Amino acid sequence: MKKIKIAHLYPERMSIYGDHGNTLALEQRMNWRSIKNEVVRVEVGEKIPNDIDLIFIGGGQDKGQVVVANDLLKKASQIRDFVESGGPLLSVCGGYQLLGEYFISNDYGQIQGIGLFNIISKATDTRMIGNIVVQSEKFGQLVGFENHSGATEFIGRANPLGVVKKGYGNNPNDKLEGVIYKNAIGTYLHGSFLPKNPKVADWLIRQAIKHSGQTLKLKELNDELENSARKFAAKRP
Amino acid sequence: MRSLIAILAAKAASKVNRISGSGGSSFPGMVAKKIDKDILQKLVLNNFPKGIIVVTGTNGKTTTTKLIANMLDEAGITYVHNRTGSNMERGLISSLTDTADISSKISAEVGLFEVDEAFMPKVCRAIKPETIVVTNLFRDQLDRYGELDKIARSFRSLFEDLPGANLVLNADDPLVASLGYNLENERKATYIGVANYNGPKLKHDYTADSIFDPFTQEKLHYTDRYFSHIGRYRGKRGGFSRPKLDFMAEDVKQKGIENIKFVVNNSTKAIKLDMPGLFNVYNSVAAFATAKIALEISDKDINFALNESSAAFGRSEALSYKGRELLLLLIKNPTGLNQVIQSYLLKEKDRLLVFVINDNYADGRDISWLWDAAFEDLSDYKGKILVGGSRAYDMALRLKYAGLKGVSVEPDEAKLLEKIEKNSSKRSNIFILPTYTAMLSMRSKIVAEDEKAKEYWQ
Repeated sequence: MKKIKIAHLYPERMSIYGDHGNTLALEQRMNWRSIKNEVVRVEVGEKIPNDIDLIFIGGGQDKGQVVVANDLLKKASQIRDFVESGGPLLSVCGGYQLLGEYFISNDYGQIQGIGLFNIISKATDTRMIGNIVVQSEKFGQLVGFENHSGATEFIGRANPLGVVKKGYGNNPNDKLEGVIYKNAIGTYLHGSFLPKNPKVADWLIRQAIKHSGQTLKLKELNDELENSARKFAAKRP
Repeated sequence: MRSLIAILAAKAASKVNRISGSGGSSFPGMVAKKIDKDILQKLVLNNFPKGIIVVTGTNGKTTTTKLIANMLDEAGITYVHNRTGSNMERGLISSLTDTADISSKISAEVGLFEVDEAFMPKVCRAIKPETIVVTNLFRDQLDRYGELDKIARSFRSLFEDLPGANLVLNADDPLVASLGYNLENERKATYIGVANYNGPKLKHDYTADSIFDPFTQEKLHYTDRYFSHIGRYRGKRGGFSRPKLDFMAEDVKQKGIENIKFVVNNSTKAIKLDMPGLFNVYNSVAAFATAKIALEISDKDINFALNESSAAFGRSEALSYKGRELLLLLIKNPTGLNQVIQSYLLKEKDRLLVFVINDNYADGRDISWLWDAAFEDLSDYKGKILVGGSRAYDMALRLKYAGLKGVSVEPDEAKLLEKIEKNSSKRSNIFILPTYTAMLSMRSKIVAEDEKAKEYWQ
């Protein structure tokens, strides 16, 4: 079987809190099934390889985001083509915001996004902080920790990742969390997101294998610890 | 008059605390501030003839403050300092109302305070310190502190408002170093750092944040990175670079987990510190520089104080429990935890290892940081591992993804202590790594048990 390649975009500038856990979860859940894989780190000014099967982008400090936004515009058509052709993508927090139409920040004005998602985000005075529980049609219960002052809204047609049961999600008003477009996900859930939500991790891996032109039925793993951690986290204030 | 009532009320509150053995050390401060909102300012006015020193930064506040206190003791200078952990506004007020007489007079010559990063602007604008020490700035409890850059900006504007203050800054941390860059009126910061370091390093360090020029966002070039974003670096010609060190440690040598040796500013005598870890070398050099520039303490007194120093409360503190030797190593953020891994766990891989991870407010509600720590470096750890605390399962999950096996989970603290006993033999050495609130509760249970055992044998 051909190696599955994950592009981790901007690990130096966009991995503020626990984003390492997301790529680690993807790697390990492939390793445990003997699926060869590699994480390629792509920094500002570097090219995304043409033969990648999965893209991940994490969250960053506001200051780092401006440099990243400019670089992301140069990669925009490649990322859009990848997603349009069914390529899986996960974006968290700051990365999620930059994949929308634009983000209006407090300190740096309007930052142009790449318009992959039909969303806009604006800095607000509310810091949305805390453990968050989301119910998703596709994945069931999702848990994480959110910490953002940017509020995200849909423009035009967009599907949320899920409905907020506890916490804020996209914004303080509509009880929706994240977005899902084709096989691309945007979310505010840190925690790290994938280790405690293994269904999402496995779904991303399945799409990556499919996108690589291969077929393979994923072996079930023992997720007892993952599920216990999720149940405990859902109960925390 | 208002301040007199405030002081009396705080003293009364403090007495109640002592008699009942309950209540936090911030309680008297809270009472005093309710009565007189300017009480902090009034308590320092006309006091402390030799100045006020404030120590802040993500890691090392408590230890650096303790080292400076030891130097003051050695030099025979009297001082007031805040008790461990009480580093927010109310805690500071409590420590001052405790020592002030009813006319707000304090007899000590120096005020020495560790101050929480988030409270720096407010506290320092009230007490106007003569010297400010910034140890480092790492990612830490983002739910409480926000982003590093915001803290740095608040410090920069604070320093402009205190034009007379000495600044002691860590040159090896780019963000901290940048705080002394381009100061007004040729004002110069005092820079501390480590000239070179050849000790062990982690292979999986994901905690570096400030590896970019804070002014241009261009990547800095590191000739050597000791840990996280700490090390020797340079920027573009003519731009921001690592400043020249005014106080530097050299010849850093750590053997085992007992102590670390180093030399400061080419002095012929090596300092032997009974607290291992490169981070403690940074704490020592910061304390050294402060003692010299702000207090004019002699090299002899400084060296003596450092050689005699032991770790602060809960930070590498040795306790005995049912015949076992426990080493309590407080962990609060990924960089601090990585330093514990680098200085202790990589050196003694056979010991029973216990993580106790709580997510109470004082610990930070967000435990995402566990995923940034270098547990992958522990893949060949041989000792048994127990995990406890309110987020025991998250911790166990982190270790599972790091590839560690044989991890046992016990969220209940009393049962965890039983498990510790069951999984170790008498006279064995055990590492306990708790978060802040877990450290407080574990420590009190362990100490109580030890006292009980002593009474029994008497």
